[in-house]
Amino acid sequence: MAMRNIIEIQNLNKIYDTGAIQVHALKDVNLTIQEGEYVAIMGKSGSGKSTLMNILGCLDRPTSGSYVLDGIDVAKENPKQISYIRNQKIGFVFQSFNLIPRTSALKNVELPMIYGRVPAKERLERAKELLEKVGLGDRLHHMPNEISGGQKQRIAVARALANRPAILLADEPTGNLDTPSSVEVMNLFTQLNQEGVTVIVVTHEDDIAAFTNRIIRFQDGQMIEDKRRGEHADF
Amino acid sequence: MLIFENIKLALSSIRVNKMRSFLTMLGMIIGISSVIAIVSLGDTMRSAIAKEYENVGSTLGYLYINSPDGYYTDDYLFTADDKELVQEAFGDRLTYVGFNSSSKATMKNGRVVKEGNLMGLSENPSEYKKLNIIKGKLFSNLDVENARPFVILEEKDAMELFGSVDVVGRSIRTVIGSETKELTVTGVYRNQDSALMKLLSGSNNNRFTAYVPETLIFPKGSSAWTLYFCVNPAYDVNEVGNQVARYVAKIKNKDISQVMFYSAQQEMGTIDSMMSGLSAVVGAIAAISLVVGGIGIMNIMLVSVTERTREIGIRKALGARTQDILSQFLIESAIISAAGGAVGTALGIGVVAIGGMFVDMAVVVKPQVVILAVAFSAMVGIFFGLYPAAKAAKADPIEALRYE
Repeated sequence: MAMRNIIEIQNLNKIYDTGAIQVHALKDVNLTIQEGEYVAIMGKSGSGKSTLMNILGCLDRPTSGSYVLDGIDVAKENPKQISYIRNQKIGFVFQSFNLIPRTSALKNVELPMIYGRVPAKERLERAKELLEKVGLGDRLHHMPNEISGGQKQRIAVARALANRPAILLADEPTGNLDTPSSVEVMNLFTQLNQEGVTVIVVTHEDDIAAFTNRIIRFQDGQMIEDKRRGEHADF
Repeated sequence: MLIFENIKLALSSIRVNKMRSFLTMLGMIIGISSVIAIVSLGDTMRSAIAKEYENVGSTLGYLYINSPDGYYTDDYLFTADDKELVQEAFGDRLTYVGFNSSSKATMKNGRVVKEGNLMGLSENPSEYKKLNIIKGKLFSNLDVENARPFVILEEKDAMELFGSVDVVGRSIRTVIGSETKELTVTGVYRNQDSALMKLLSGSNNNRFTAYVPETLIFPKGSSAWTLYFCVNPAYDVNEVGNQVARYVAKIKNKDISQVMFYSAQQEMGTIDSMMSGLSAVVGAIAAISLVVGGIGIMNIMLVSVTERTREIGIRKALGARTQDILSQFLIESAIISAAGGAVGTALGIGVVAIGGMFVDMAVVVKPQVVILAVAFSAMVGIFFGLYPAAKAAKADPIEALRYE
């Protein structure tokens, strides 16, 4: 099966200049992720995995090197186009859910489509469809404070999928969840990946990474390991 | 821009923070309502005064002689002879010349006793005083010349003295000074002064105001400070007035600079510019309260932006553009401010209407004042919302998402 490169990173560096000291958060990272992959990015805190996550999500820009997402050279884009890329190409799932408070599940899922200028009727249908897909068809009008953590994260997943992004980017998605909810959310990711969605999960937990098909490990800003299922004894 | 979505967002945000939004609006409500009330009250007063002057007549002028040392002898005052000289010299250029004389008097009909003032009217009284005669008629020039004992009563006084307004031809015993006269009622008039004018002229409901031929209370040999006259509308009031002043200076053997001439037109202009100056000053003070209200909005919007830092980060991560966030907060502050402006406008008009009811006047609320006030309040909202909204729009998404 001929796979397309959805992420191409070459000689990527990120240096934080805090005035007195310079922090070299990412050092010469080269990474390619293909369409339909299910990847875990691992590392201890300070390893550079969050920095990579922010760059992958177009929330931050690299100091040097190139990042091509779905054929777009992100470094060259202006802020308005960056917003467009975030909206259309990237689906975020955060550790702390980051649902908009006092706003119903339905409205939260509609939000990326509002910024994507999707017509209201189409928006509503798609949001309902997605919430049913994540098993929350009966929670459409619930507020975030009225539901459990697992349910919140499933709403966040539905929201991330709203504009059919090129990648689903999950930053410690199970960090605030109990074990059954974690398994539930990871099973949802597995199911989505089997349906063809490219999923990238940032985690420091081995049992969460074990759901994926490829593990990339970071330490001190450098990639120290990149293994695929079947290439290693653990897999 | 997502105007419709952002309006919905703003409304729900205002709904969620009802009390806070109301308190923020209060500044605008007070500011706008005071601006509208003050400007409208000023306009109402001006139009009322303008109307009064229309009644008095724009042809009216008066003059008096100023004494340089403040000591007035008879040659500074006007007598009936001076009046006749002026009348003869100016002919048809003056339609009325008189003294505006008045005298305290007491009227008695049986057991009903009433105190008040008799006002003297000279020849061609209708030129000078626009009386609304409802029964009978005004004096003729012959009545004035012969000092006939006639009187024109006000409707309410006729009712009190006679119990009727059909009193033409009846006589009333009137004490003027030390004299007692039997005056024949030749007319009854209705007072058309507005409540404002009654207030300004200090007229008292318990006292009567009746009109008599001037010669009756101002016999030959008396003298007055001031000479009143009406100019034929075919001539310019100020031009003829100045000619009269020169003539008076000549016959009284005084310097022209000592003869002071004023016309109703001048007075009206003075009062008008005084009133507009006054409402401009008070309006400016009220406008300051709008600025204070605007600062209140800015303050609350800054709090709101800070509180919602994380929400702003989420929105940006989901693809909101800088301008989407900017317009979200701008629309919110404009709505708070314009809503405050609308409520303030209603309140201001209400205050003016209630005030107008008390002084019995038709209130004047110019539509342009209302439009200006609401537009101004929305502008205040946008202006003072600009900084907080820009702060929100500029927020770094990574920092914002980390905000607790």
